[in-house]
Amino acid sequence: MLIIEALSHTYDEGVKALDEVSLTIPKGMYGLLGPNGAGKSTLMRIVATLQTPTAGFVRFGDIDVLANPQALRRTLGYLPQDFGVYPRVSAMEMLDHLAVLKGIAGRRERKATVEGLLSQVNLWEHRSKSLAGFSGGMRQRFGIAQALIGAPSLIIVDEPTAGLDPEERNRFLNLLAEIGENVVVLLSTHIVEDVSDLCPSMAIICDGRIVGQGAPATMIEALAGRIWMKRVDKAELYALRASHQVISSRMFAGRTVVHVLADADPGPGFTQATGDLEDVYFSTLSQAPRPSHARAA
Amino acid sequence: MLFRVAAFEFRHQVRAPLFWAVTAIFFLLTFGFMASDQIHIGDTANVHKNAPFSIAQTHLIMGVFFIFAATAFVAGSVIRDDETGFGPIVHATPLAKPDYIYGRFLGAFAAAALSFAGVSIGLLAGALLPGLDPDTIGPFRFDAYGFSYFVMAGPVLFLSSAVFFAVATATRSMAWTFVAVVASVMIYAVAAVALGKPDLEPLLARWDPFGLFAFDVATRYWTADDRNTLLPALRGALLFNRLFCMSLGAAALGLALPFYRYDKSLDRGARRGPPRSSPPPLLSPALRARPNFDRRAAFGQLVARTGFDMGQVFRSPVFWIILGLGLANSAGSLWTVTDDGRYGGAVFPVTRILIPALESSFTIFSVVIAAYYAGELVWRDRDRRMHEVIDATPAPDWTFLVPKVLSVSLVLIATLLVSVAAAMLVQALKGWPHFQPGEYMLWYVLPNGVDLTILACLAIFGQVIAPNKFAGWGVMALYIIARFALPANGLEDGLYLFGAVNPVPLSDMNGQGRFWIGAWWDRLYWSAFCALLLTAAYLLWRRGVSGGLPSRLARGLRRLKGTPFWIAVASALVLSGSGGFIYHNTHVWNAYRTRQDDDRWTADYEKALLRYETVPQPVVVSAKLSVVIEPDRPRLVARGVYVLENDTGAPLREVHVRFDRELDVRALSVQGAWARKTYDRFNYRIFSFDSPMAPGERRSLSFETSLSERSFRNSRLTTRDLTGVVANGTFVNSFQILPIVGMTRDRLLTDRGKRRKYGLPAALHPPLLGDVASRSWSYLGHGTWSLSDITITTPADQTPVAPGHQVSDVVHGVWRTARFVTDRPILQFFSIQSARYSIARVRYKGVDFFVYHDPAHAMNAQRMLRALEVSLDYYQSNFSPYQFREARITEFPDYDQFAQSFAGVFPWSEGLGFIADYRDPNRIDLVTYVAAHEFAHQWWAHQLIGAEQQGATVLSETLAQYSALRVMRRLYGPDQVRRFLKYELDTYLRARGGEAAEELPLEKVEDQGYIHYRKGSLVMYRLADEIGEEAVNRALRSLLARFAFKTAPYPTALDLVAALRAQAPPDKQALITDLFEKITLYDLTAKQARSKRRADGRFDVAVTVSAHKHYANGAGVETPAPMNETVNIGLFTARPGDTDFSSRRVIAFGKRPIRSGDQTLRFVTSIAPTFAGIDPYNELIDRNADDNVVVVH
Repeated sequence: MLIIEALSHTYDEGVKALDEVSLTIPKGMYGLLGPNGAGKSTLMRIVATLQTPTAGFVRFGDIDVLANPQALRRTLGYLPQDFGVYPRVSAMEMLDHLAVLKGIAGRRERKATVEGLLSQVNLWEHRSKSLAGFSGGMRQRFGIAQALIGAPSLIIVDEPTAGLDPEERNRFLNLLAEIGENVVVLLSTHIVEDVSDLCPSMAIICDGRIVGQGAPATMIEALAGRIWMKRVDKAELYALRASHQVISSRMFAGRTVVHVLADADPGPGFTQATGDLEDVYFSTLSQAPRPSHARAA
Repeated sequence: MLFRVAAFEFRHQVRAPLFWAVTAIFFLLTFGFMASDQIHIGDTANVHKNAPFSIAQTHLIMGVFFIFAATAFVAGSVIRDDETGFGPIVHATPLAKPDYIYGRFLGAFAAAALSFAGVSIGLLAGALLPGLDPDTIGPFRFDAYGFSYFVMAGPVLFLSSAVFFAVATATRSMAWTFVAVVASVMIYAVAAVALGKPDLEPLLARWDPFGLFAFDVATRYWTADDRNTLLPALRGALLFNRLFCMSLGAAALGLALPFYRYDKSLDRGARRGPPRSSPPPLLSPALRARPNFDRRAAFGQLVARTGFDMGQVFRSPVFWIILGLGLANSAGSLWTVTDDGRYGGAVFPVTRILIPALESSFTIFSVVIAAYYAGELVWRDRDRRMHEVIDATPAPDWTFLVPKVLSVSLVLIATLLVSVAAAMLVQALKGWPHFQPGEYMLWYVLPNGVDLTILACLAIFGQVIAPNKFAGWGVMALYIIARFALPANGLEDGLYLFGAVNPVPLSDMNGQGRFWIGAWWDRLYWSAFCALLLTAAYLLWRRGVSGGLPSRLARGLRRLKGTPFWIAVASALVLSGSGGFIYHNTHVWNAYRTRQDDDRWTADYEKALLRYETVPQPVVVSAKLSVVIEPDRPRLVARGVYVLENDTGAPLREVHVRFDRELDVRALSVQGAWARKTYDRFNYRIFSFDSPMAPGERRSLSFETSLSERSFRNSRLTTRDLTGVVANGTFVNSFQILPIVGMTRDRLLTDRGKRRKYGLPAALHPPLLGDVASRSWSYLGHGTWSLSDITITTPADQTPVAPGHQVSDVVHGVWRTARFVTDRPILQFFSIQSARYSIARVRYKGVDFFVYHDPAHAMNAQRMLRALEVSLDYYQSNFSPYQFREARITEFPDYDQFAQSFAGVFPWSEGLGFIADYRDPNRIDLVTYVAAHEFAHQWWAHQLIGAEQQGATVLSETLAQYSALRVMRRLYGPDQVRRFLKYELDTYLRARGGEAAEELPLEKVEDQGYIHYRKGSLVMYRLADEIGEEAVNRALRSLLARFAFKTAPYPTALDLVAALRAQAPPDKQALITDLFEKITLYDLTAKQARSKRRADGRFDVAVTVSAHKHYANGAGVETPAPMNETVNIGLFTARPGDTDFSSRRVIAFGKRPIRSGDQTLRFVTSIAPTFAGIDPYNELIDRNADDNVVVVH
């Protein structure tokens, strides 16, 4: 159980990235959904011991993360939002090196671990290839492999699917689903499907504050009957925005499909839509106070 | 569009920090050069700091330095878009490729050119600074700045910008571009050394892309006056060179366009996978290895991290390139370090001389490796965006820092080992199989490994505190500047000069001596300091996303507990303990003195005591000494008694006794006198006689002195440890250990700038030639001829040497005592030596010749003995009998590089001669030349010594040169002597341009080496050619007959000139005037030569020559003089000086009358000549000796 309490963080230059965030995260996959710049990465880094918050408290099991980061690291697997590779180093060498850093001291058991992980993430064929030549999806799979070294009980995955093509994304999410059974997996993303596909519980973060949390199904249910849809022309959209609570608009076959949140039929042309997690997400965001210029960290 | 791109680029560049940093650096360099008397660029003696020559030269040299900066500008302009990822956006614009590329280049080049103006402005502003010594600043010449900027520096700037822009365009990599820069500079340096031979210089002047040779050829024989007033004319080779430089640049720019591609493949690192093998079975998570965090795991992490970091270095191509460049550079240095001196000599590649060569040429690359990889390793995780993954692993904090230090250190040691292999390879290639791996380790790898690691620690610390990699490298740049700037400004204490280590001079005779002790204390001290730096680096290490330095400092302080705390405490203890011990050595047991302290002391010494120079003094007529050498302490104690005699003809009231500054005077008394005044600071005492010393009266002076050193001192630029008394190879002269009667001018400040700085007259001239009063003493001081009786006690395994005949030699226990007595008077200036010698000896015509040499240095002992034999024959049959029963050549350690002539003893550095390599018989035999020169001093100094006035050294040095040349000619014939004289001519002509005060005619020389040695050789050799060797020798014999072993009045150069005139025919009197009394320069040119077959089968040969003669004054201003003398004209079938030249190639040779101007000389020969020349063997002092021979058409 990962407990985050009243966590606030303000950067040196005065940007408030987190504002009194409190979360309780049980075993299993937990989705942290939010737009770019909402403070997701800051929160992830703090939990991953890479950043000291201005105020607040993080506990994982018995570990006071802020007071004893080293203890958390021993049981942590972390896949950062963005990571690079060393030049002229193969996947196998790099994984082996990280295994050393993670305390897998014995040569033989390290070899077994590394090979096992490579094959688990489907990189066995590419093990001798330079990491620099990996595609984005391969790189993310390598990232999850390194996060799994040493059988961690807390796994933090920050925006893992950004930039992946649908097939790669699928493969990656399957991988996550496999491991997320017995440990805490904290998944941050701005892609709603990641959460809806995988996570039994989630939170929505916006402007450094938690604006909604719960099980996706419960949250979708709460919207039942309040989502209305209409196809409009571009010109119409502007007027609509002024008169209705538009939670999302997207192009479909050359026209704009608008979702509006309303307790009753908002007017002609609107049909009731089946709410999904995306509607939850956007309605939550649109109800949250409008962001100032929060910055991604 | 082109210009809009250029303007945008220019604005971008001049706003960047790089621009301001570079401009500031170059401004400060040249400004400092003008404003400070400590920074020198090029050769500036007596030439105004703002002389057109200096301005042009500084621009030229700075232009070469600037290559690195220019490359940063232009390469940045083409690589930037790729690095920032902005490239695709730019490439997608409709901009035409040439506009884009050349616009970028133009803008960046304009920024570089503007930045380089910092050089001109610095020079200009520095000269305007108030408070400069007015004698060093000349009138302003704005044309000189313009000329220098546009003609000297401009083309090089353009060339380097264009070439490296093209390289950057092709490689798209800053690293590779800089590799190309370094490689080019190295190749240039190696080529310049390899090709820099006089006969190639005209070629190099045209094609040297940097124009250094063009400038040198255009100005090489300029006098100070020329340098202060002239700019090189933009014509001939210089013009050609500048145009060549520009065209080369334009060609490179042309190539840049086809090289440039928008679609640059990023992925170069992909490697082919191995043959597929089936994947291992999946492990269930439960079976996966669990981490553990015990000691063994930690050690494993240390080893793995170190190996991984080293792997990162070894796998990076930049490392191999730097290493390769270092090896290339040191290969040149290792190969040429065996070149000995100016005359084309060579020495064997002994380990001792290869190590300094490596240290000066290779370790600088190791410094670059240390600084570069400190930055790369510290920042790698961040640069590669791997830090979040790595930082979140449970590896302990110290596994981030310690492996980087270890791996940099190990990499550095590996590079040093590679350089040792290169040195050994050179030894093998040069046929010197005496490998000394142990010495390489102890003398080179170990000390430099530690020193470089200390440097690497600083580099790592700098990277940890700096906000980015470049700022971290800036810390290293600051360090390097400080290491030069602080000692230059009087801050020389090794306790605050980071990484400063006492130098350890190497010697085959004495190994590292005791000098390594101080050096290793310094290393302990700085290692402790580095441990503190590393502790700080550990505490401040960025793990995770940390804030600025203040927040890291706060966090670091909180973490200062446990092991880091105790390491800090232990380091601080070692630091203060070793620092205290070093301080005690360098400040308490030994005086701490900077170069400026020494200069001030010398100035004060002169101010206080020079007034006693002319006080009449008694002379030493005999000295009885007992010298005890205790090399292990080290200490040398001298006890003795002088017998003083009043030979002044008047009663004397006082006697002045002085000692070397370093000498401890334990006892001193003068019979019937009391110490009236003691200058403790100057080790100078004035004794007053109770009753005046009557003319002819003798009294005794008794003394005991001790020359010693406790432990080690702060050994820096000028002050250094006592090298005179060492375990094996003790060598001191009498001035260092004995009382000196009367004040003289030796060891006073001579540098004009320093003299002015300390309020002394700019120059201290000796009495003028012809002065009468100064004929009362010789240029060695008041007492001249005396008898000596010297007993030396030294360890039993050593052989002591002193002047005189050895009358006893007793070994008593561990001590050996030998007594040396002279039966002929000697100069009161001699040496005492002791070492474990092997002795080569031969008895020849009643004289015992000895060579005392290190057992490993027997190579040239026989050659030395033979030189002494041939010299003895020549000198005895042409001058006078040799005065002693023996002559000894004695080797001393390489702490000094000279050979000297004391009475019957010629101390000779092991760095010269003893290891000379004569496997190539064509080499000029410098060993014989030096031996003959030193032996000749037994006549020219030790029989006849000049009075203390202008021209004194003509009687010693010039005549010794003449004598040695006659011996050389007898042994090797005229051809080798001519080759030798060509070097002498070149050295003379170059040196007169750098004259600090005033060039004087030979007879008035004031201890100016280029005149009394170099010009002296040329003058005497020509004179012997013109009036005959026998006539010269008759004149010299007559001088010896008048003056040998005589006291006052001592001879002067006028006596020599008069003796020569007496032997010369009337038509050569004007020649003697030209040679001795004037500064005469010739300009002889063979313009063209034609031969035509006659009807009788012989050949009509017509040679057109031009001839000019000039007289120069002391500042180098020349006035034409009518020429009307005979000069050698030769017709040959080979070029004189070429290897195939010999006397058989001479068709006609003889003197012809030559007048000023052009003239055609006609010959009839039976063979067609292929070469014709005027003064083809370069006997005249010809300002351009390379145009004396032409091909016959």
